[in-house]
Amino acid sequence: MSKRKKKGSGDSRASGDGPRIGVFVCNCGTNIAGFMDTEDVAGYSATLPNVVFVRENLYSCSEAGVNDIKQAIIDNKLDRVVVAACTPRTHEPTFRAACKDAGLNPYHFEFVNIREHCSWVHKEDRDLATLKARDLIRMGVARSAYLEPMEPIIGNVVERALVVGGGISGMTAALELAARGFEVVLIERQKHLGGLVKSLYEIYPWGEKAADYINGLASRVERNSKIRVLKACEVTDVRGYVGKYEVTVSSGDETVVAGIIVVATGARPLLPEGMFGHDSRRVITMLELEAMLLRSRSRRKKVVLMGCAGARIPGRFYCSRICCMTAIKNAIIMRKKWKADVTVLYRDLMCYGVQNETMLVDAKKAGVRFINYSLENPPVIEKDTVTVSSEILGRDLKVPVDLLVLSTPLVPQDTNVALSKILKVPVDEYGFFLEAHVKLRPLDFATDGIFVCGTARWPASIRECLEQAIGAASRASTYLARGEVEVEPIVSVIDEEECRGCGLCVALCPYGAIELIDTEKGKKARTIDVACKGCGTCGATCYRHAIRMKHYSDEQLGAQIRAAFVKDP
Amino acid sequence: MVMDAFIEGSDGVFVGACKRGECHYSSGNLYAEGKMDLTRRLMRLAGINAGRLGMRMMSSAEGNKFTEFATAFQAEITELGPLGRSEGISKEDLAIKLEACRRALAGRKLRWVVGKVVEFKEKGNLYGEVFTEHEIGRLLEETAMDEYRLREILERLKVKPQSVKTLASETGTPAKVLLRQMADLRKMGLADIQELDGDSAVWALAGNGKTYE
Repeated sequence: MSKRKKKGSGDSRASGDGPRIGVFVCNCGTNIAGFMDTEDVAGYSATLPNVVFVRENLYSCSEAGVNDIKQAIIDNKLDRVVVAACTPRTHEPTFRAACKDAGLNPYHFEFVNIREHCSWVHKEDRDLATLKARDLIRMGVARSAYLEPMEPIIGNVVERALVVGGGISGMTAALELAARGFEVVLIERQKHLGGLVKSLYEIYPWGEKAADYINGLASRVERNSKIRVLKACEVTDVRGYVGKYEVTVSSGDETVVAGIIVVATGARPLLPEGMFGHDSRRVITMLELEAMLLRSRSRRKKVVLMGCAGARIPGRFYCSRICCMTAIKNAIIMRKKWKADVTVLYRDLMCYGVQNETMLVDAKKAGVRFINYSLENPPVIEKDTVTVSSEILGRDLKVPVDLLVLSTPLVPQDTNVALSKILKVPVDEYGFFLEAHVKLRPLDFATDGIFVCGTARWPASIRECLEQAIGAASRASTYLARGEVEVEPIVSVIDEEECRGCGLCVALCPYGAIELIDTEKGKKARTIDVACKGCGTCGATCYRHAIRMKHYSDEQLGAQIRAAFVKDP
Repeated sequence: MVMDAFIEGSDGVFVGACKRGECHYSSGNLYAEGKMDLTRRLMRLAGINAGRLGMRMMSSAEGNKFTEFATAFQAEITELGPLGRSEGISKEDLAIKLEACRRALAGRKLRWVVGKVVEFKEKGNLYGEVFTEHEIGRLLEETAMDEYRLREILERLKVKPQSVKTLASETGTPAKVLLRQMADLRKMGLADIQELDGDSAVWALAGNGKTYE
């Protein structure tokens, strides 16, 4: 799919009386057809105005399905294509490309989502799902008649990356990008590189000293001529768009211009203030234990490690992913170094992966005791003992203790929310950065040219952080290497005749994408195409109705709304 | 668009948006909130239950909330029944009132005011006076009321010329207020006295074809 030549508008086919609309209903096996009557939906589609061709495909997105669509466009001289299938997030590009290949303008394509909007949410009522699919297709067909041909906007990409965060993920991403020959600016909030890993003792599962690894990484970053490191520095403002982000940083008045941005701000362990008698001496966190092991002077004989301290509880439902393995790793270390009695209290042991599983077996062989507890019956912590109600034995066990270690979960950085607003990318309900799609675009944000990796995104082990950092760098490289970027032409268009140059749209545009220019007829507003995200704020505001949104025009949306209230026979 | 949906026959309109500060389009949801607030004001002025326009904010990760909101809204609207019935408005009146709302919302005055609200709140007006939430609310309410009355009069005159007295009973506006409004309309060249019926004047749309934008 490396066709880069621009085909003609494709509108020339729209001769004759009205548009020639083709509707393709995707069966998708159990996904869609399992919960609605796609045959009925296809039959109904054929009765809609201007629809000249209908086909029910088993999998519209498969190669066979796509070829079928292409052939149908050519054979039936279709000039609008409506696919009723899944979400535009995943397959809109597929079908647009199919239209383009068949000589149709890719924006003469309309996606109707009958999976998320019908079959998935109305699983319990087949008839209702079918009726709703009919409604949505009728609306999509009505809108498609008003679609207009558009050409993509091409912008240049500045060959420089900005990496936010100088921890293990950020440094790895920076080195990867530099190795590919791109300039990198790395911003770190602290006075030194390293992040959370700098405070750790050993890295599981391969047992390397964390300091060795992270200091090696930091010195490679500092020595790399392609990487500029800005320490004790934060991002204060970001303007621009993919290909040319203008980033203001807190150290002085410098502006960094970068084509893409990688967010690797990391996470921090929860501080268990007031929880489980935490006092940093006899009751400590896992991070404090790592520091204790680093100092190697203080030894304890009766150690209890408690998992899920503050995790998987109401209000913080998630599993922090790394705690079980960290506890097991440190249990083995304490068995060997301190000859201590070590007990691990757990709710569920999650040692995913072969090496981690092996580590668990090693721990058991080394004599580490594992006791299961439940959320309803948490361990009772006293001065010299921990009483735990064992789920398996069905009775209370008293474990002597002189050091209790709490596995507290990784929680988002407090600065995430502020940064997310600056970058205009989302965070989830907890405050972790939210990727565009958990499976299909796990390292991208929905905003073009901004990527995320490491624990800024979600708790992750060191190995996972490395993988994600390399992945994010790879995703970012696709933009940097190409040198130019195609931006969706879904932008606002300002009618200069109607515009009075009042500047209301300029003031309200969240992206600074409208400028006032001097013309012979006075001041006029004009859209900066590459910066415009097509949000419609200006169009909905202009008191003279001088601004039109491409691809979401009043005519298109109006037709859709009218069609919604047409009675289904 | 929201009014279009009511005009086309919707009994309720549900607007889903992102949480404050989490909008994909930055501040777009806040602007939308302002516009929905204004739309509800107009609905109230028209005697339509403003609860028929629901707006709820949730994040894209909160599918459960969406289901909750949608189900609750559906139940509320089902309880209210078809548009106009619970309000006690006849079909003909409803058409006029909805069209008046639509025209008021699409009109220059309200679009200008609602667009300026953000600026008024943050930077202040030309004289540097920053408005409070309360003041903005009052300003919007007054402007909306003026604008709505004017639009409804025009819509009713479009159906047939009538006297201030009948207009007053149909719109539920005091005759005194209406009279002032008619004088304004006359000044604007939008309406005029067509004939005298006994001792009351019958008003009609001005014959110059001028429309109020």
